[in-house]
Amino acid sequence: MLTVRQLNFYYPNSRPVLKSINLDLHKGNIYGLFGKNGEGKSTLMKIMTGLLFPKSGTCALLGESTKKRNVEALQHVFFVPEDFELPSLSIATFEKVQSPFYPKFSKEQFYELIEEFKLSPANIISKLSFGQKKKVLIAFGLSTNTKVLLMDEPTNGLDIPSKSQFRKVMASAVDEGTCIVISTHQVRDLHSLINHVVILDNAHVVFNQSLETVSEGLWFGKALNPEEPSILYSESSFGGKTILTRNDREETEVDLELLFNGVLSEPNKINTVLKNIHHGTGV
Amino acid sequence: MAQEFSLSRIGQFIRRDLTIHKSTFITGFLVTAVLLFLFCILNMVWDKQLGLEEFFGIFGLFYIPMGILFTFSLFKEFNDTKSNHLYLSLPISIPERLAAKWFTVTIIYTVAFSLLAIFVGMLAIAVGTVIFNANFNVLSIFTEHYWNVIKVYFVIQPIFLVGAITFAKNRIGKTILLLGLLVLGFLLFNFILFAIFNHSYGVFSGETIGSEAIDKAGEDLSVMGKWFYSLLFGPIMLAVAYFKMTEKEV
Repeated sequence: MLTVRQLNFYYPNSRPVLKSINLDLHKGNIYGLFGKNGEGKSTLMKIMTGLLFPKSGTCALLGESTKKRNVEALQHVFFVPEDFELPSLSIATFEKVQSPFYPKFSKEQFYELIEEFKLSPANIISKLSFGQKKKVLIAFGLSTNTKVLLMDEPTNGLDIPSKSQFRKVMASAVDEGTCIVISTHQVRDLHSLINHVVILDNAHVVFNQSLETVSEGLWFGKALNPEEPSILYSESSFGGKTILTRNDREETEVDLELLFNGVLSEPNKINTVLKNIHHGTGV
Repeated sequence: MAQEFSLSRIGQFIRRDLTIHKSTFITGFLVTAVLLFLFCILNMVWDKQLGLEEFFGIFGLFYIPMGILFTFSLFKEFNDTKSNHLYLSLPISIPERLAAKWFTVTIIYTVAFSLLAIFVGMLAIAVGTVIFNANFNVLSIFTEHYWNVIKVYFVIQPIFLVGAITFAKNRIGKTILLLGLLVLGFLLFNFILFAIFNHSYGVFSGETIGSEAIDKAGEDLSVMGKWFYSLLFGPIMLAVAYFKMTEKEV
């Protein structure tokens, strides 16, 4: 659905932000795009929406280069930026002027989500808090029913109850034909929501695996023997959490934060284990 | 496959722009109405009349600057780093965006401003007739004075449109500076052309050499020159605006 090939990007007078990025994003998945601050998550999303142009390489949505900003391509993608400003209109007026551009927009869905987020259509957007504005934009983005929905740090600015509200809304709104990409550095916020992990580090994609593969190949927990050879990564803090090759162990819940830290410190070890699982050789 | 040029999408985009900028436009028009009324009344105090030429002189004084301000206001989202994500990712093609913006700040603005100005002008004449016995006459757009002002606006407006797209900060100042430099450049260009074609007629002899030649360079604009500058400032600037919009990144 969304294909990125040999993509390179840098800002003027700056180090490369993205180097030789290759990605294939498919419908029916919720991708978690992780990376430290300044690793190019937002930049990649902007390129995917056609808001930034790659310096070399391509980014195509349904076969059309996003750089061209064709109406056809733009009708299939919606981007929720991290920092934004909405027009000073009521929520209802905002919907009326903005929705006609999205052919699959559902008014019912939008107003249901607005209600779910405890907002009223009569609310003036400029008078709302940043978190509430974000909720309006998330509700609008979900209601556009575009094939690709990109969200950059969607939980930033949301209070604790709103974060779980967000997870609930997202879980109910997803359908098989949609591809959702959520970028964040707060990996815990996306727990139980995503089914695929992409990690960016040093301008490269260092990890790109489905959670199913991760569960199949890795075991998360406390190792009984700290000297065990199957330990791929361990953290001394919080009681010594470790990532081990799963082998015959029981399946564990994927600890996204531990996986993220593990990939950043031992990318080769972890990728090799998962690659072997993928090829059916086991470890 | 969605069309890349749809009149219905242009209509929706115009509606969106007018809704978002409604308060700016209403405030601008109200301020203009008051000032226009005062200027018309003050003008009538001296000679007890408001001729068409006088009225459309005042009209141009507000019509052109307000049009320029509205142009910059309409493109605010385009260069605003917080709102241009949503704006640029809106499913509407560049030709549609440009057509919608141009139509709003030229045709819709001109019709709305002209109707308002004529109404205010007529009101001022009526008030002048009652208060200081001024002559009563009817203001009409079917006059050369009106169309001359409109022509000037339609020719210079695309330059400000390009300025509104190009500059992110101090947009009006930078555009006026650029326009000033362009005018100076073309004046010099005219002067050189004038010198090349007329030096053999002795226009450079005598003491008034420089000022006389520059005066003539400013006044003597051939039909070809008029077309050249109209094309340069009109359609070519719209083409520049199109490419600027195509290249725009957040």
